[in-house]
Amino acid sequence: MVNQHSIPLYQALLQAYEERFSGSRASEPDAIHKLRQNAFHTFQELGFPTTKVEDWKYTNVIPFLRENYTLSTTPQATATELEQAHQAAAIPGMDCYTLVLHNGQLQPAVDTNQLPAFLKVISIEEAMQEPSFQKHFGKIVDAGKHHFAALNTAMFTGGLFLEIDANSHLDKPLHIIHTYSSADNLFTQPRNLFVVNRSASLSIIESVVAPGNGATVFVNGLTEVAVAENANVQHYTLQTANEQLRNLHHTEVSQKRDSVYSGYTFSLPSAQLLRNNLHINLDDEHTETHLYGLYLANSKQLVDNHTFMNHRFANCESNEVYKGVLLDNAVGVFNGKVYVHQDAQKTNAFQQNNNLLLSPKAVINSKPQLEIFADDVKCSHGTTIGQLSQEAMFYLQSRGIGEDAARAMLVTAFAFDVTENIRIPALEEHINKLITQHIPAKQELVNV
Amino acid sequence: MANTVDSNELINEIATKEYEFGFVTDIEMDVAPPGLNEDVIKFISAKKEEPEWLLQWRMRGYKAFMKSEMPTWQNFEMPELDFQAISYYAAPKNKKKYESLDEVDPELLATFAKLGIPLNEQKVLAGVAVDAVFDSISVATTYKEKLKELGIIFCSISEAVQEHPELVQKYLGSVVPHSDNIFASLNTAAFSDGSFVYIPKGVRCPMELSTYFRINTQGTGQFERTLIIADEGSYVSYLEGCTAPMRDENQLHAAVVELIALDNAEIKYSTVQNWYPGDKEGKGGIYNFVTKRGACRGVNSKISWTQVETGSAITWKYPSVILQGDNSSGEFYSVAVTGNRQIADTGTKIYHLGRNTKSRIISKGISAGRSQNSYRGLVHVGAKAENARNFTQCDSLLIGDRCGAHTFPYIETKNNTAMVEHEATTSKIGEDQIFYLNQRGIDSEKAVALIVNGYAKEVLNQLPMEFAVEAQKLLSITLEGSVG
Repeated sequence: MVNQHSIPLYQALLQAYEERFSGSRASEPDAIHKLRQNAFHTFQELGFPTTKVEDWKYTNVIPFLRENYTLSTTPQATATELEQAHQAAAIPGMDCYTLVLHNGQLQPAVDTNQLPAFLKVISIEEAMQEPSFQKHFGKIVDAGKHHFAALNTAMFTGGLFLEIDANSHLDKPLHIIHTYSSADNLFTQPRNLFVVNRSASLSIIESVVAPGNGATVFVNGLTEVAVAENANVQHYTLQTANEQLRNLHHTEVSQKRDSVYSGYTFSLPSAQLLRNNLHINLDDEHTETHLYGLYLANSKQLVDNHTFMNHRFANCESNEVYKGVLLDNAVGVFNGKVYVHQDAQKTNAFQQNNNLLLSPKAVINSKPQLEIFADDVKCSHGTTIGQLSQEAMFYLQSRGIGEDAARAMLVTAFAFDVTENIRIPALEEHINKLITQHIPAKQELVNV
Repeated sequence: MANTVDSNELINEIATKEYEFGFVTDIEMDVAPPGLNEDVIKFISAKKEEPEWLLQWRMRGYKAFMKSEMPTWQNFEMPELDFQAISYYAAPKNKKKYESLDEVDPELLATFAKLGIPLNEQKVLAGVAVDAVFDSISVATTYKEKLKELGIIFCSISEAVQEHPELVQKYLGSVVPHSDNIFASLNTAAFSDGSFVYIPKGVRCPMELSTYFRINTQGTGQFERTLIIADEGSYVSYLEGCTAPMRDENQLHAAVVELIALDNAEIKYSTVQNWYPGDKEGKGGIYNFVTKRGACRGVNSKISWTQVETGSAITWKYPSVILQGDNSSGEFYSVAVTGNRQIADTGTKIYHLGRNTKSRIISKGISAGRSQNSYRGLVHVGAKAENARNFTQCDSLLIGDRCGAHTFPYIETKNNTAMVEHEATTSKIGEDQIFYLNQRGIDSEKAVALIVNGYAKEVLNQLPMEFAVEAQKLLSITLEGSVG
């Protein structure tokens, strides 16, 4: 058992809570104050998770927390920082609306004016009087169950509130750039709420970047997504931050009748720690959910994807495909749970996780789970761990394709089950390019 | 204690022995007072005339037990267990419950009839006094002579401690250490008896070894300990349990089974477990908390577990294989059927440590009524386990809308030459399949039995022949009344 008090961050958090959040704040409604208070008590009870906690069995987060972090919010991003962020997150050839959040703070960007009137984008602090905020905030995620979700709920600062009106369709994808950089080690906890009203549809691309070589930034983020009846959301997350980033992100989605949610998570080099919790609650019948994930990790990266499909109602369909490529000393974790409640008859749930181990030191821990309480269901999962097929390599080489090119080709093909489902051509091309770029030449593979 | 005393002599011998440790108690001499403490362990050890090292080992197990806490990770609510209410030593004698078959529960007799069990065996199983010499005892004696010729040792573990202490001391606790888990520690401290098998170098055991014969003469214990050693180039197939419902007064069963396969040796271990599952509300059933583990120590060695689990209120066990030797292989075949309020949390753990190791896991779970059936398994590939290969398939079948089927596989790979595959499905019996069979004049109940047997065939095929036939009938009986 780790003594929580031996972690300086724990002490700092207790102190910061006392100073900043324990009394009611003028800027926040009482309901939020109460929510913070309860969540903080939960966090004090739970503490930071050790590897004894089942959900953190393969991801020891404690060493990442041991450094000294400051908790103060950072000043406005400089023009250089914004420029760097745009560069790092650029997706060539993509036509989109762009927003930037620096260390969780929404930046006044030129683009906001061009957003259509039916789309509201404001900072989470500004949103607290919005009826949709009051209806959904803190009600989708159960902060009582998760260590970091509780901590985020208790002490979040910054983040984004996004709402699209009913029956509206956003013509271009919305590109949200989350950029992190700081001169001192920073612990930051942004909180987002996306509300997609009845019959609305949009595509969101969230890029997580940390350009430059600054100090360590530890992000404990949380996003709640409310998907109303008949709405359709495509939600892409692209993580390409530098080594200095440690990113825990919890996404909790609630889907209403006839809605479609497609979640895409691309974790690429080279943030030190990436942990994505993606929880989908199917809160009514006839919903459709697709989760696609691709993690390609190198150096000493630890990439951990936890998904939870919560089938509460009958006649829902879910489909999940996660592919992993592990290089160097990278450690990959996949934990996918499908939970079918007793009343969720006629559920159709599919889950697949495939992994390629391309280095002798790479590690993969895969834990697919099914918990089924209804009988009239079709549920299955599959996991594989393996290498590139020697025959396929030989075939390509015998056709005059160089070894490195052949390898990159096969890895891209391996990822195809995920990438082919990307609905934005420019993004698909960009991701395929990133995959190829990170597949090392043979020499490097041997020397690890 | 001589090794071939017949059971009556044994009982007399123990019953007439002086009560050594000064318990002031009114109960019979051959039963220790309830509760576990160092005195009780010394008492058990002394009764069995055990050497000092074994007593010390029991004490280490006791200390580990006292330090352990009850695990909380299992997928069911742990019943309250009062370890101090259990009596840890009872002389091995069969208690007779009834005077004649007429007094036995007619439902039980009906089950026997369906399984086709001979009358004499029925009596023994139900706990009826048998006057005549029971057939299988003489059969067992003939077997024993044949085995002796080949140098095979097959006896109770107490006997082995007396006769072959060097083998027991070398291997006992080498696969399941005394501090492995709370129930293994408890077993180490208080194990009553169990089987010991040693197959010498290059010997292929000509017959299936079965506890079934032994149990009738020696009496089974609540804390059984089984140790099987297959020396270089040997082969043995071992059967445990039987298909008939066993009457048993002990609610908690915490057995330990250790298998050791040396170079080129093979052990095949089959279990059919059909202990009392409790009434329809699940009251009074057996808790089957068993630690089973095999070590493939030698090169090219092989261990295979096959289990058919239909009984017990709670079945909680993970027969495991440690693949240490190069080119060794492990297999796990399981059918777990749960009905009413039964709970099964079972599966396997395979550790790939040597090079070119292979493993195969086939698990079929069938849940009916209000039961919960979980598969929990681990496939671990160590950093040095080059070219490890695993295939896992676990399927669940749900019959009725109040039961649950759960799958918790853990796959850990630290070597990039490993090939690991896992797949799991959960579904119910297709209405079209039942309709097809109905239409051919087969009623729904028989249709379900037919489909379930087909579903479990991959596992049942692994059982020795007579066992397989009985197991098929058993599946049908367990699922009776779960349709419609």
